[in-house]
Amino acid sequence: MLLRASGERDDRTYDLSAVTDDQGDSGVAHSDTIRALTEAAVGNRWDELAALRDRATAILGEQAMVDVLTVAAGFNGITRVADATGIPLDDRARAATEDMRAAVGIDRFHYAQKSARYDIATGEVSAYRSASSSSG
Amino acid sequence: MYDTPYPVRPELKRKHLEAWRLIASPGPFLDARERVQIVHEARAALSCDLCRRRLEALSPNAVAGVHDAVSDLHPALVDMIHRVRTDPARMTKSVFEGVLAAGIPAEHYIEAVSVVCTSVIVDTFHNALGLPVPDTLPPEPGPPTGQEPPRVVDADAWVPLTDVAVEDGVFGLPRSPNIARAMGLVPGAVALFFLAFRAHYALRDVPLDISQAQAEFIASRVSAINECFY
Repeated sequence: MLLRASGERDDRTYDLSAVTDDQGDSGVAHSDTIRALTEAAVGNRWDELAALRDRATAILGEQAMVDVLTVAAGFNGITRVADATGIPLDDRARAATEDMRAAVGIDRFHYAQKSARYDIATGEVSAYRSASSSSG
Repeated sequence: MYDTPYPVRPELKRKHLEAWRLIASPGPFLDARERVQIVHEARAALSCDLCRRRLEALSPNAVAGVHDAVSDLHPALVDMIHRVRTDPARMTKSVFEGVLAAGIPAEHYIEAVSVVCTSVIVDTFHNALGLPVPDTLPPEPGPPTGQEPPRVVDADAWVPLTDVAVEDGVFGLPRSPNIARAMGLVPGAVALFFLAFRAHYALRDVPLDISQAQAEFIASRVSAINECFY
């Protein structure tokens, strides 16, 4: 929602599906460089980061490169707060983002859905193990 | 912290150091030793064999075992810490309920979540800059501080949220969005986490050398990777 708001403020339309895709051009300036840095930092791919930092510094400048990592590190923490507490979307945000969430495909991240999905998987595996042990 | 030629912003350095000191101080429900142990557990999770096997599984809940723990924290708390650190995308309510079922109060859970997530910010930023993670500080002696009963309300989260009047903020968000209310059961947990986080982002006029749109793209991408619905 906030990326879309930035686009409205900048009088630009950003491709929000680039957020959930592993590739794709969002329309945000230097998003390929930013994406590579962000994904390596959050994915614990420390070995790749030295080269990525150098490349990003050449393109963005050193302070901007550090600032990309600043935002990435912050959101690597705050997303875990949400993931560990199962908070719902704020009411107005929920209503305002209904179409966007469906289009981008983030409704599958809903905490109730995730709980059901992984608990079902647990049940299936448990049932499978019970069947295997009784037949063995 | 941050002994590097890279231009780390002074405000961020100061806030991280304050947060690091706060972690090594008694919290509302956990003593300083326990809080520091939580940081050590979060770090140990990255090389934990059970966590690795769970990451490879269809469902983390399908893989039983014992974590490679480095503390004497309750096993249910260790499990939560390792999951939040290594596999936040697949955190489920059953993990939270498992902690409660082990006799650990929700307030302890919240305080531990705050410490883990604060340490994730600090460690991620160090690692991203090619720096070793900082040593934890010696835990201060003394019992947990306790707290005044906070005003909370059931709002369809796993935990009660801070009870606040709904007021409009910016960009269609309320002045106090749910993410700021999520740890409201333990106001000290809110204070610790946002002490570290605030230097990383702003909803508008982000005080960094990147545009707001670039900041939102990064935020959105991390949220997608961690499957953060919020």
